[in-house]
Amino acid sequence: MSPLNITHYDAATGPVLHVDGELDYEHAPALREQVERLVLNPGQNLVIDLAALAFCDSTGITVLLAAHQRAQAAGARMTLAAVPANTLRILRVVGLDQVFTILPDSSA
Amino acid sequence: MCRTGDGPEPTEIADAAGTNAAFIALLEDSAEELYESAPCGYLSTLMDGTIAKINATLLNWLGLRREAVVGKARFADLLTVGGKLYHETHFAPLLRIQGELRGIALELKSADGRRLPVLVSSVVKYGGEDEPLLIRTTVFDAADRRAYEQELLRRRQEAERARAEAEQARGEADRARRQAEVERERLADALAVLQQSLVPSSLPVVPGLEAAVHYHTASPDRLGGDFYDLFPLGGGRWAFFLGDVCGKGPRAAALTSLTRYTLRAAALHSPEPAAVLTTLNTVLYEKHAAGGDPRFCTVIFGTIEPGTDHDRTTVRLASGGHPPSLVLRADGHADYLTTPGGLLVGVLPTAPFSTAETTLGAGDTLLLYTDGLTEARTGATRESLFGDDALRAFAADHAPSSASGVITALTGLLESFGDGLDDDTALLALGVPATHPTAHPATNQPR
Amino acid sequence: MDIRGRNNVSVTGLADGPVVVLAHGFGCDQNMWRLVVPALAKQYRVVLFDYVGSGGSDLSAWSQERYSSLQGYAQDVVEVCDELQLEEAVFVGHSVSAIVGVLAARMAPTRIGALVMVAPSPRYIDDAGYRGGFSAQDIEELLDSLESNYLGWSSTMAPVIMGNPERPELGQELTNSFCATDPDIAQVFARTTFLSDSREDLKSVAVPTLVLECSQDVIAPREVGAYVHAAIPSSRLVTLEATGHCPQLSAPEATSEAILDFLASWR
Repeated sequence: MSPLNITHYDAATGPVLHVDGELDYEHAPALREQVERLVLNPGQNLVIDLAALAFCDSTGITVLLAAHQRAQAAGARMTLAAVPANTLRILRVVGLDQVFTILPDSSA
Repeated sequence: MCRTGDGPEPTEIADAAGTNAAFIALLEDSAEELYESAPCGYLSTLMDGTIAKINATLLNWLGLRREAVVGKARFADLLTVGGKLYHETHFAPLLRIQGELRGIALELKSADGRRLPVLVSSVVKYGGEDEPLLIRTTVFDAADRRAYEQELLRRRQEAERARAEAEQARGEADRARRQAEVERERLADALAVLQQSLVPSSLPVVPGLEAAVHYHTASPDRLGGDFYDLFPLGGGRWAFFLGDVCGKGPRAAALTSLTRYTLRAAALHSPEPAAVLTTLNTVLYEKHAAGGDPRFCTVIFGTIEPGTDHDRTTVRLASGGHPPSLVLRADGHADYLTTPGGLLVGVLPTAPFSTAETTLGAGDTLLLYTDGLTEARTGATRESLFGDDALRAFAADHAPSSASGVITALTGLLESFGDGLDDDTALLALGVPATHPTAHPATNQPR
Repeated sequence: MDIRGRNNVSVTGLADGPVVVLAHGFGCDQNMWRLVVPALAKQYRVVLFDYVGSGGSDLSAWSQERYSSLQGYAQDVVEVCDELQLEEAVFVGHSVSAIVGVLAARMAPTRIGALVMVAPSPRYIDDAGYRGGFSAQDIEELLDSLESNYLGWSSTMAPVIMGNPERPELGQELTNSFCATDPDIAQVFARTTFLSDSREDLKSVAVPTLVLECSQDVIAPREVGAYVHAAIPSSRLVTLEATGHCPQLSAPEATSEAILDFLASWR
């Protein structure tokens, strides 16, 4: 099993990317590439499902920021879903909880 | 079986007779026979090459009839065109001058168009007045020899080619290796120079303060993403900052460099912490995020002003998405100095930064750190992270502590993490001395 | 640069006579002229030399670049003439050397006053409307035979000249270098000679010229002699009753007689 697997499916409200693994210096760029390839229409909501996120460092955060920008540029929104507790803590420290739409992991 | 009689046996008589007969037959062999049936070709020509005499062996090889050749053809006519040219330019002149020529390789052309590789030797016969009369030539079949020679030639050419290729390959490999070494050295030099520009080479001496630092990059050839600085603003006031850029490697280093110099410039211009971070935010945003390539850092920037009354040292700081600084108090407490609402720097066109303020008395120490410390993996299985609470508890255990004291303690702690520490870590401590107001030399432990 | 040494220059004959330069062609070296030199030396100062790469010349002076074109050989001639400070000398060139003489005369007009072309050919390979005598295939065969002879040459690699006291004209000074050339150099000389086309250069001849051809010459057939004569309006054609390509060896008296006649009429 590779360190990062991304699954994509399209929901009624927009694309959903399910992230399983590590968003770090080596692997996060793969997520960035996928986000860039997505078709995003105005009014849609890009959901990044982080329920299976194992690790996120500054490169991972950069990729989430880039996804956020991409959504905005397309006139769409971005939501981070099922954010693990540790990642949420980091997002709070850096203040991105005020920028991203975040749905914490309900099991946390 | 024993011999009974004293004469030869019948079979022996027959053998002797047989041998004798062969011998006699040889003696009876005329010169003519020997000439015509020799195992080689014989040829005699006039000086202009006209064939005067030729033996049967050669005629058979050529598939020619005597009548067609004698007095009618020249020696050169029996050769291939290339052979004719060679004959005219080398063979004939040499023979004229020397009177003799041996072992020249030529090719004869037979009547049915086949080529016969031969070796030719010729001798000039002179008359009584030394005038050249005729040329006597012997022709040997050299087919096998020629095949062997050609094989040798071919092998030699192949060997030459292989050798030349090997030479070339070796030359290229050498060049590549030398090139790689030069590149490696150049890279190492560049990295060393670059690394030096990211953090100060040593901390300055601040009157009324003790400063100490620990700086560790996770891997030796990766440039660290953490940065810090401590510099005078004039009028007894000093500025400090400590932070962490996103990413790793040269791109991160470029960001670090930009960040450090922007902060310094902004601070010297107008040192209010929130304003400084706002300036940095604008610079980073416009350079990167605005173009669709968001890059950010987290940083705490602050000013510190040791008072003339050495008990009071004012600290004002702002944080851009960075873990909060810790204050170790002389009374043994340790508390976080938080600045709620700060956002990491460089991702939005306008970002909020709030300021916090505190005063340090004698024996108090301010500690800034990067998340390499709090994110270090600890525990038996390295599963859990060290965390904020553990850090505060650790700090409280060590309070009160001088700047160098807390740095030393934390360095020890970091070392105890062993391979749980896989990130860059920077620690900066600024402490008001507990007793004397004289400046302590800055304790510098950059790694 | 020591030209005399480099080109193995030797000077003989009448000390203050008019100068005749004898130039060998492809295949051997100045020894080719051995049998005609005595006749010429009675009335003329005779200069003999070897092109760089042949005979007793300095092989270290050879370069593929220079000697891959006839200009390079013409340069040798001009340098020898300059070295000896020749004026209006007669240049006798055998085979391809006749063409080299044409080029040299153009490069240094004051040095060369007349040309004798012995069995010349401006182009050996047949062309449309021109019979040179050979096809390109034939030339390749020559180059092949050159190669096989250098490989297959046995211990008699450098033919030893038999010193024969009854044949004084050979003399003792003939060395082993006669006709034993470096194979690579021979290849280059052969290609340069047999792949050349100097028909246009004949038009530039502006000096009195003698064309000496042989009646039975495989390398320079009669058509070629006629062509050369026609291309040089100021030329005279003499056909020697001789077989082969080297009349100076196979018919030395007739050759020297023809040359002496021409020189007498020219002076």
